[in-house]
Amino acid sequence: MYFLMVSILSATPYSPVHPVTNVVPLSLVLLVSLIKEAFEDWKRFQNDMAINNTLVDVLQDQRWECIPWKRLQVGDIVRVKQDGFFPADLLLLASTNPDGVCYIETANLDGETNLKIRKALERTWDYLTPDKACEFKGEVQCEQPNNSLYTFTGNLVMENQTLPLSPNQLLLRGCSLKNTQYIVGAVIFTGHETKVMMNSMNVPSKRSTLERKLDKLILTLFGTLFTMCLIGAIGSGVFINKKYYFLGLEKGVEDQFNPNNRFLVTLLTMLTLLTLYSTIIPISLYVSIEMIKFIQSTQFINKDLNMYHVETNTPALARTSNLNEELGQVEYIFSDKTGTLTRNLMEFFKCSIGGEIYGTGVTEIERGIAERNGIKLQEEKVTNAAHEKGFNFDDERLMRGAWRNEANSDACKEFFRCLAICHTVLPEGDESPEKIKYQAASPDEAALVIAAKNFGFFFYRRTPTMVYVRESHVERMGKIQDVPYEILNVLEFNSTRKRQSVVCRYPDGRLVLYCKGADTVIYERLAVGNDNLKKVTREHLEQFGASGLRTLCLAYRDLAPDMYESWNEKFIQAKSSLRDREKKLDEVAELIENNLVLIGATAIEDKLQEGVPNCIETLSRAGIKIWVLTGDKIETAINIAYACNLMNNEMKQFIISSETDAIREVEERGDQVEIARFIKEEVKKELKKCIDEVQQYFHNVSGPKLALVIDGKCLMYALDPSLRVMLLTLSLNCASVVCCRVSPLQKAQVTSLVKKGARKITLSIGDGANDVSMIQAAHIGVGISGLEGMQAVMASDFAIAQFRFLKDLLLVHGRWSYLRICKVVTYFFYKNLTFTLTQFWFTFNTGFSGQRFYDDWFQSLYNVIFTSFPVIILGLFDKDVSASLSKRYPELYKEGIRNVFFKWRVVAIWAFFAVYQSLVFYHFVTTSSSAAQSSSGKTFGLWDVSTMAFTCVVVTVNLRLLMMCNSITRWHYIGVGGSIVAWFLFIFLYSGLMTKHDRQENIYWVIYILMSTAYFYVTLLLVPVAALLGDFIYQGVQRWFFPYDYQIVQEIHSHEPDDSRTELLEIGNQLTPEEARSYAISQLPRELSKHTGFAFDSPGYESFFASQLGIKAPQKAWDVARRACARSKPKVSKKEKR
Amino acid sequence: MNAIGAASSGGATAASDSSTTTKKNSKKPKYSRFTQQELPACKPILTPGLVITTFIVIGIIFIPVGLVSLFASEKVVEIVDRYDDGCVPRNYSNNKLAYIRSKLTDKSCTRTLNIVKPMKSPIYIYYQLDNFYQNHRRYVKSRSDKQLRSKKGESETKLCDPEGVSANGPIVPCGLIAWSLFNDTYKFKVKNKVLEVNKKNIAWKSDKSKKFGSDVYPKNFQSGGLIGGGQLNSSIPLSEQENLIVWMRTAALPTFRKLYGKIEEDLQANQQITVVIQNNYNTYSFGGKKKLVLSTTTWIGGKNDFLGIAYVTVGGLCLFFAISFILLYVVKPRPLGDPSYLSWNRNPAGHLN
Repeated sequence: MYFLMVSILSATPYSPVHPVTNVVPLSLVLLVSLIKEAFEDWKRFQNDMAINNTLVDVLQDQRWECIPWKRLQVGDIVRVKQDGFFPADLLLLASTNPDGVCYIETANLDGETNLKIRKALERTWDYLTPDKACEFKGEVQCEQPNNSLYTFTGNLVMENQTLPLSPNQLLLRGCSLKNTQYIVGAVIFTGHETKVMMNSMNVPSKRSTLERKLDKLILTLFGTLFTMCLIGAIGSGVFINKKYYFLGLEKGVEDQFNPNNRFLVTLLTMLTLLTLYSTIIPISLYVSIEMIKFIQSTQFINKDLNMYHVETNTPALARTSNLNEELGQVEYIFSDKTGTLTRNLMEFFKCSIGGEIYGTGVTEIERGIAERNGIKLQEEKVTNAAHEKGFNFDDERLMRGAWRNEANSDACKEFFRCLAICHTVLPEGDESPEKIKYQAASPDEAALVIAAKNFGFFFYRRTPTMVYVRESHVERMGKIQDVPYEILNVLEFNSTRKRQSVVCRYPDGRLVLYCKGADTVIYERLAVGNDNLKKVTREHLEQFGASGLRTLCLAYRDLAPDMYESWNEKFIQAKSSLRDREKKLDEVAELIENNLVLIGATAIEDKLQEGVPNCIETLSRAGIKIWVLTGDKIETAINIAYACNLMNNEMKQFIISSETDAIREVEERGDQVEIARFIKEEVKKELKKCIDEVQQYFHNVSGPKLALVIDGKCLMYALDPSLRVMLLTLSLNCASVVCCRVSPLQKAQVTSLVKKGARKITLSIGDGANDVSMIQAAHIGVGISGLEGMQAVMASDFAIAQFRFLKDLLLVHGRWSYLRICKVVTYFFYKNLTFTLTQFWFTFNTGFSGQRFYDDWFQSLYNVIFTSFPVIILGLFDKDVSASLSKRYPELYKEGIRNVFFKWRVVAIWAFFAVYQSLVFYHFVTTSSSAAQSSSGKTFGLWDVSTMAFTCVVVTVNLRLLMMCNSITRWHYIGVGGSIVAWFLFIFLYSGLMTKHDRQENIYWVIYILMSTAYFYVTLLLVPVAALLGDFIYQGVQRWFFPYDYQIVQEIHSHEPDDSRTELLEIGNQLTPEEARSYAISQLPRELSKHTGFAFDSPGYESFFASQLGIKAPQKAWDVARRACARSKPKVSKKEKR
Repeated sequence: MNAIGAASSGGATAASDSSTTTKKNSKKPKYSRFTQQELPACKPILTPGLVITTFIVIGIIFIPVGLVSLFASEKVVEIVDRYDDGCVPRNYSNNKLAYIRSKLTDKSCTRTLNIVKPMKSPIYIYYQLDNFYQNHRRYVKSRSDKQLRSKKGESETKLCDPEGVSANGPIVPCGLIAWSLFNDTYKFKVKNKVLEVNKKNIAWKSDKSKKFGSDVYPKNFQSGGLIGGGQLNSSIPLSEQENLIVWMRTAALPTFRKLYGKIEEDLQANQQITVVIQNNYNTYSFGGKKKLVLSTTTWIGGKNDFLGIAYVTVGGLCLFFAISFILLYVVKPRPLGDPSYLSWNRNPAGHLN
């Protein structure tokens, strides 16, 4: 806007410059941004084309025709085949499955890979074949397109019949069809109206802090501009006088120079000077920065091989280019735990059967604990073949049937059977142990079934009523036996029950109830007696828990047939009741789930992501504080924190938990108001105590590092405005903070507490829908892409595949970007200030008339041609230290956190040298040009002098750029050389031309005249050197006495060749066995962070939003499994016939 | 209602689609030195050695260059004579304006100059004005290059106000610059022998041949009520009126020298030159000085001590800094790349910042 105003102003007679001066750069700058936009659009367009041209079958003239997605219209009848994606929001009409059911995977929407059921209206089941489908006539009345994924209301009007539609009939775009040959559907919403598109929120426009500071700088420049104009304007009012008769001021003088009205002269000259000095505001700065950032993000971040994850085939993705340099200043990282720090991969790790612990593995957490205690664990590296995804167990007492020789082999048998039978897992694929895939609602379940398989109880087939288990080594070693178990009842898992039971009938008629669940609920329901086993097992459970393992108790109960029959009646009754079915089912389950016999306990490891501890350690050395915000229990969270190197024994821990006896006592009384008041008081007391302690440590320099652990309930009160300040003071003094049991909203609150309260730059990283609010609240949101759903990624600014890539993203890309942008900004500031100041000094010698020193074209092209290219090169290629050194010396990152390179002090130094240089330019050139400049005795005019000065400015400013580079590539030479050459080419042409236009031919032949004199060369050598001398001395002294850290690192490694990352690349190509394994794992069906609450975890948050919206959680696992196995039955039987 | 552009903001969705479905389609970025930011680069480090070397090199280059230019400048003989005050008769000294404005007063004035050193031909004659804002915006733009260039542009006078048109039509050359043409004249005698002043070839050739047309003759010049400066012979084309061409190449600073002519005879030391000045030009109203300058030239031009001094100063400074740096190096050495200088090693309580 400012530039437009100046351009308009420059078209008025008050302007000292031709309008072209301002219009040309403005339009060039606009052109460049247009091209950039066009380029982005083009990429998007190509992307769109690819998607839009995907083919889909549409019913036309009783046949299925392939048409591209983009030609799809509302009301079309389409057919989608198995594994295909839905091209639009569809109304499910018919499916090849019986009773109009189809299965969809919604991973793209919410990250859940378990199958969901959609069921067509009975009325439409028949429209499956083309000839049938074309008979379909109906009208769909539905709500306006909206972004709610879980709601849909509408009616289908067919033959005067109105049928209600629900989300159950809706197939959302982005989902894919599974386990169903094909479906037929009617298009309801297309394109932008589909729910997923309505949901794809635009990236909230975030501006980087540096840019906001840049705005301040620009404002300062405006201030400078006005001061300069004011000085000049007042000068002009004072100067103008009739005594300068040669100015023709006697009669008919325009207002601007009328000595009779000095005030008006001042005012108008103000306008004149405003246009004259407009170059002080760097017009191309924002465009250049945008271009630089755009290239940085699309070329450097997106294409960094170090951030490419082979297993998931996911490169890093910068979804916005605004925040590159913000990455170099992050001080606080808020991280989700599951899926981000941990692998979200459950592995059967240990078990306790009949009071005996099995499993030799050592968890990373145990390793961490051992390290804390200073014990070196002797690890037997036994690479066992029975290593599989979900199974990381080795104990020769159990493997390969050896359990039969154990003392408690009966317990073992029950244990394994329980694992193999009591679940809602669905087998997929070939019925061989190697190729089978398990579809499970929770990864824990799959891990247990896989464990059973490895112990020789291979669950391979499920029908609605039967579970088939291939049992080996039961009777005799090496003998295989297929045993069908009849599943009579499934008592499902839910978060209140925290257990799951299955009633099954053995082929021999034995009735058994198998139950698995959280230790607390199982122990309550155990039969009396055998206290020793209970005690031992409980000890084991605690031991597992301390190692960060997720535990489950297994139990069984033999049922008497008559007793079962009577119970079953109640069960069926409850099942068919219409009101409060859930509640009644729970009650009925209670009746049978008692008197259990404890078998043992399982321990599942929640694996850490690759390289997490290392990454966290590096980041904290870089001065970044990492907060873990998780929904887990406090113990789990602390253990994970230990394993991640977030905490160690030297740290002083403050734990603020609501699980204290005092609080529990009050809670039991149940008065909500009282509870709130009490907890608040407690939290306040705790906070105060901690802060006092912190103060103590603070006075004592060598105090320990501090860590704070707080749980969600306390956090709720601590976030209260009255306590917020205390919380902030405390937490900012802590090196690491762990918040457990927090809701998504609290995650966001904590983030904004630090963001707003401490004014520090924050980064949130997470993978699931529950992290979205946190990701959006932070300065920078990072989503983990690749494995999980898209919600976090869609909300994020950057998406990376692994937590450990954060190291590259921050320490390498962020740091470089920050450094580069700082340099670019300060350089822009410097070059424009220098240029404009020469003009300013000239004003003093022109009677403050606002005469321009430089030709219009010089002035207009200065910013856009003669000095713009090298600075972009600088912004792209400058590297202080190489990527590997950046990671090796993470402390270098602190320079960014402290904002060392864009402080006002730095700007002031640049400003000082800009003033110095402009004085050198102006005075050296003008003073030396007063006498004759050649042996011919002729003298120079204004334009000769100004061209000389301009040449010096261009050369100096470009050379100055080289001086500030840390690494000089070929491109720098091309850029700098090119700019200087461009100037000379330009001036050669320009001063050689004479146009027909009515304009002043001031520059005609000027450069040739200049170059014919020795003076030109002598000055051209002198002025840049003299001008740069100051900077050079400064740089020398600065480096010598006040070296930046990066400069020392440069010196340390100055003799090493630029260590390229080729080694890393080679490793990336040849898979090590470890990687091969993890690759194989990644090929297996993916499990999700659906913490269905087994033992250790609170319910998953995937349903959090849904429940907020008043919608029930998706279908139950058992439901899905039962239906799916019903469908696959005929297929199986076919196979058997063969 | 159709799906065109459906994915305009859903690039990421599409990306994930293909990653889950087509595993063969690797999205591994291609290696290039550019995208991996591994372009070969030289990494100059400003080591003390480098700094000192640079200083010494600059010093070694600059001091001789400076000395040479100083020497050249020294060889130039320059005589400056300020005559604005001296050329006003004593009875007018309180009212110089009246003197210069009056058409009746005798403007001629005789000055005597001493030649201190022998001056070799050609000797350039300059007039130097002071406080004369030839670079004032109103002044600079008050000309019409089109009019000066050819007869066709005669009526292009819109930039020339207030000296654009007279009662009889467009003024050629129009504008304030031409109007205020300097019109003092100098005549030189040595021992009563008249020294010829050559006023040819005092303007830059490009101006003469391209900017001032040979078919443009002065017209209606200085015909208004106010006379700003010199008259022009209306029978000589502008391209031949070199004093005008010189004048119209406006000066950069309010103090400027312009070439008046050349004396193409050598002058001996201790000679007395008599200058008869026609003191016509009004600088009295704005208190500007007028000076007459006689100067010889060398390769560097006229007397220009500034460049030489600047060179020597810069060179000297460089040597000075080189020495100071060497001294600093001895007094307060900092071993290169000593990790103990890293900030986190200096300040162990780093977490307190």
